[in-house]
Amino acid sequence: MDLFPLALSLRVALIATALTLLLGIPVALLLARRRFPGRNLLEAVVVLPLVLPPTVLGYYLLLLIGRRGPVGAALAAAGLELAFTWRAAVLAAAVGSIALVIKSAQAGFESVDHQLEQAARTLGRSEWSVFWSVTLPLAWRAVLAGAVLAFCRALGEFGITLMVAGNIPGRTQTLPLAIYDRVQAYQMDEANALALIALGVVVVLVFGLSRLARLRY
Amino acid sequence: MVSVAITKRYPGFTLDVRWEADRSVVGLFGPSGAGKTLTLQCLAGLVTPDAGTIVVDGRVFFDAAAGVNLPPQRRRIGYVFQGYALFPHLSVEDNVAFGLHGLPRAERRRRTGDVLERLGLAALARRFPRGLSGGQRQRVALGRALAIDPALLLLDEPLSALDAPLRRALRDELRETLSGLGTAAVVVTHDVTEAYRLADRIVVYEDGRVIQSAPRAQLLWQPASEAVARIMGLANVLHGTVLKSTPERIQIGWRGQTLEAVNSPTRSYLPAPGSPIAFFVRPEYVRLIRKDRGAPDAAHHMNVMAARIVGEADFGTVWALRLRLDAPGEPAQGDFDLEVEVPHLVYEILEIERDRRWQLSIHRGSIHVLPA
Repeated sequence: MDLFPLALSLRVALIATALTLLLGIPVALLLARRRFPGRNLLEAVVVLPLVLPPTVLGYYLLLLIGRRGPVGAALAAAGLELAFTWRAAVLAAAVGSIALVIKSAQAGFESVDHQLEQAARTLGRSEWSVFWSVTLPLAWRAVLAGAVLAFCRALGEFGITLMVAGNIPGRTQTLPLAIYDRVQAYQMDEANALALIALGVVVVLVFGLSRLARLRY
Repeated sequence: MVSVAITKRYPGFTLDVRWEADRSVVGLFGPSGAGKTLTLQCLAGLVTPDAGTIVVDGRVFFDAAAGVNLPPQRRRIGYVFQGYALFPHLSVEDNVAFGLHGLPRAERRRRTGDVLERLGLAALARRFPRGLSGGQRQRVALGRALAIDPALLLLDEPLSALDAPLRRALRDELRETLSGLGTAAVVVTHDVTEAYRLADRIVVYEDGRVIQSAPRAQLLWQPASEAVARIMGLANVLHGTVLKSTPERIQIGWRGQTLEAVNSPTRSYLPAPGSPIAFFVRPEYVRLIRKDRGAPDAAHHMNVMAARIVGEADFGTVWALRLRLDAPGEPAQGDFDLEVEVPHLVYEILEIERDRRWQLSIHRGSIHVLPA
């Protein structure tokens, strides 16, 4: 059995999760701690990927990163192909799952008593140090929960991926796309095996998450 | 030396305060929502005032006109938050060491150890805040603030999170610690006894303004105004009419009586005859005249009035009696005119339980005039 789709999906989901954490945590912190003009708009934009049909999202993303799109053209000029490569699959997975990281981390940061951060400031700690020594240690569970959800969502990403990365066996065919292909070709045994693997990965992650949530100070 | 003169505007509330204090303990006293905590936040740099200056020991923390605004990190202020704000994920030791992270490890351990030792926390060093009693938490919060060797210590309602019996013991303990430190401190409290026990100077807040700033004894005996007297919860704050005023005495018409009061010579308050005047009488300074010692005479008894008891309450060591004057007209305080406090022993000797009609007298020095 060809395990390339599983390997690709794990790699894509892992990189996408890292990306969503890197971009999502600052946005979550901003939404949780600051009042600024356009805050409501930002919150709406953040949840957009969760509520838009994936194909619609994929369509607009493709317009953006396709060879004629503004981003795609700029990248092509720099010698980087994005559309219909595994990188586009990473982008699709990240776009589809970043809202989960942001919303979960935002709730986590909001639950940290603001006064604890104030106390850290009066004790001489810089904003950077306040985040690493107070805010994150008290909110890490929520951030991790968001990351796990995002990883699972990225692993299962189908619609956006199909639109921007295609379904090229051995190149951009991720696990969900492979399962779809096998079913279309009546290769039920292979479809069944791949589906069981996906189920196993997600169950282990979600079970581990619920164990972590029980840890308390 | 702490010097504060700041303004901060919010919709519906404006803080506009000005006070100074030397190297001692200042109490900010007043009802909730008067701006006491906001003042601490401005001192600590957590809130930026709209205008004014904050100077501590010659260091300018804030000067709106000159564009100076030191961040909280650079003010070196020890802030004991209301509810203490201990880091729940750190041990007692790590909480106390939190402000020392820039120091070499050995120095950090030595100073943390010193503070834990001084506050009697050494045995708790490895415990976490959630496992501590209220009193222990208070000491950890104090220790964390003291560890950075602060230029100024701020304490926001340091005793409000504690149970009543513990409160009194810790109030006196805190007083000892503060006076032993020699660090200037600002204590916020809405409890007048607490303010009096902890602070050398008391600044009275009301609705975002300072209505009096005075050494504590002066505040207790000479509230600057009726507003201060009310905020301090003084009993028998009364209103009369000026009959005559001289630098020594003020004559007050009240409830058909003519009361004579001492005019404090330092104030030389000379209201015009006929103008309204507020004054207060401490309940423990009203004398009931004994009936077995002959009729009251002017040499021993001033401001004599006849009254009957219309209510009483037992406060354990004293009885609070509510007396209504025999004079016609509406009573001054609802259904009574004066509150009088008598010790239990006196209550029993005079058989007050049985005898409800009394003559009372108030020494002119015990009627305190409140300038308008």
